[in-house]
Amino acid sequence: MTTNTQRLGSGLALPLASLRQIAFLVEKDLRIESRSRQTLGLVTVLGVLIVTVLGLGLGAQNAMTAFSATAVLWVAYLFSGVLCFEKTMAVERNDAVLAALLMAPIDRGVIYLAKLASNLVLILAVAAIVTPVGVLFFGFDLTAAPVAFAVVMILSIVGFAAVGTLFSAMVSSSRLQGGLLAMMVFPITLPLVLVSTQLMLLTFRDHVAPGGTGLGVLIAFDLIFLTVSWLVFEWVLEP
Amino acid sequence: MTQVATHPVTQPKAEAIERGAVVKTVSLSKSIDGRAILCDLNVEIAAGGYVAILGGNGAGKSTLLRILSTLVPPSSGRIELFGDTATAASVDLRKRIGLIGHQVMLYRDLSARENLEFFAKLYGLKDPIARASRMLEMSGLSARAADPVRNFSRGMLQRVAIARALVHDPELLLADEPFTGLDAPSIASLEHLLAHLNDAGKTIVLVNHDIEQSLRLAERAIVLRGGRVAVDQSTTRLYAREVLSEVLS
Repeated sequence: MTTNTQRLGSGLALPLASLRQIAFLVEKDLRIESRSRQTLGLVTVLGVLIVTVLGLGLGAQNAMTAFSATAVLWVAYLFSGVLCFEKTMAVERNDAVLAALLMAPIDRGVIYLAKLASNLVLILAVAAIVTPVGVLFFGFDLTAAPVAFAVVMILSIVGFAAVGTLFSAMVSSSRLQGGLLAMMVFPITLPLVLVSTQLMLLTFRDHVAPGGTGLGVLIAFDLIFLTVSWLVFEWVLEP
Repeated sequence: MTQVATHPVTQPKAEAIERGAVVKTVSLSKSIDGRAILCDLNVEIAAGGYVAILGGNGAGKSTLLRILSTLVPPSSGRIELFGDTATAASVDLRKRIGLIGHQVMLYRDLSARENLEFFAKLYGLKDPIARASRMLEMSGLSARAADPVRNFSRGMLQRVAIARALVHDPELLLADEPFTGLDAPSIASLEHLLAHLNDAGKTIVLVNHDIEQSLRLAERAIVLRGGRVAVDQSTTRLYAREVLSEVLS
């Protein structure tokens, strides 16, 4: 019998078997995505559309500042991400396949980590397309600190996905789903978005690599929400 | 309407019976949104048994099965599976349980083989590829193994679903309305498979709305009414009319 307490007691160490199970689950998710192409295509188009529409709207009024341009990128990440979380969890809900997954001898924390990894792959893929579109559209200059920008983006998306994966499981049995998911995820990720926007602004506008405090906040957010989500996942996942 | 079922005891089944109770519920109750679904249920199912759970709509049949599968916790009381108290955290116990539902519990975008291999891997089987091939052969679906299951008929889907439930060779098989939506040949084939599995020593708990079929297949019938056991008897001593009157009363 495995409980959260026991998992913590074992020094948070993931046994090799759990890592293998995570690999099987992620491989399955990505294989399904490669077949159905339901999530990535839809989410990428949504992200690019948000950047384009908001960019055109704000740009037409000559009101586009570096801050609002960065915020537009985050709006694209947020809405694309929520749609992505919803879609990847829906795969488990269709035909009650989640019940079969929960019947398998795997820890529910493993299911969380696997779903998080799948979401990360998809959202980072979307970000890899949407961000260059924003860079071109808004004329961002990334040459000063490209690595720092990538670090900020990855840390931010990890935290966002940690929260989104947890809440997508929580609301997946609800009829409201997408709307409810956005209402739950957006307020919780607000501190992450604010810090991330400021850090991205440093690289875009001031051509400065972000300092330790801002990155520290992102890392702390990631660690706290990864740990809490992993621990509570088994309580929110209803078959 | 008269049911006089005879169930010869095979050698594997006789050995299973000696292992004692596989399922035991102790004062098991379940309430959902304040409504009592199961009330103080005390049921024991021996290893190698073939038990049908019968009852009208809302009698608590499917809820009982979901609790036995560890998917849903009871509100009070406890369940013991293979002698151990079962909870959602009973990872090792779940290795010994297979669940067939009226929903197929398969990934529609994966092929039959990929579905079976995926679950075989999750169960930590040593050779998931060989096991998936064996199950496909048993299901008579080897020729369609590479096709996405979304293209399968209801009968074929159910055959893959059964193969999925059996891929890890469980000792206890929980079947919730497994005949739903199947045509006559598929029903006959599934009946034969369940009988064969029971002869091989597997314990089968079947939730079914077809009373006559259940009395013909199972050795024992538990009729639930209002979340309580109304009848618990050997099927050789039960008549469909009698069960029906219990269900309707």
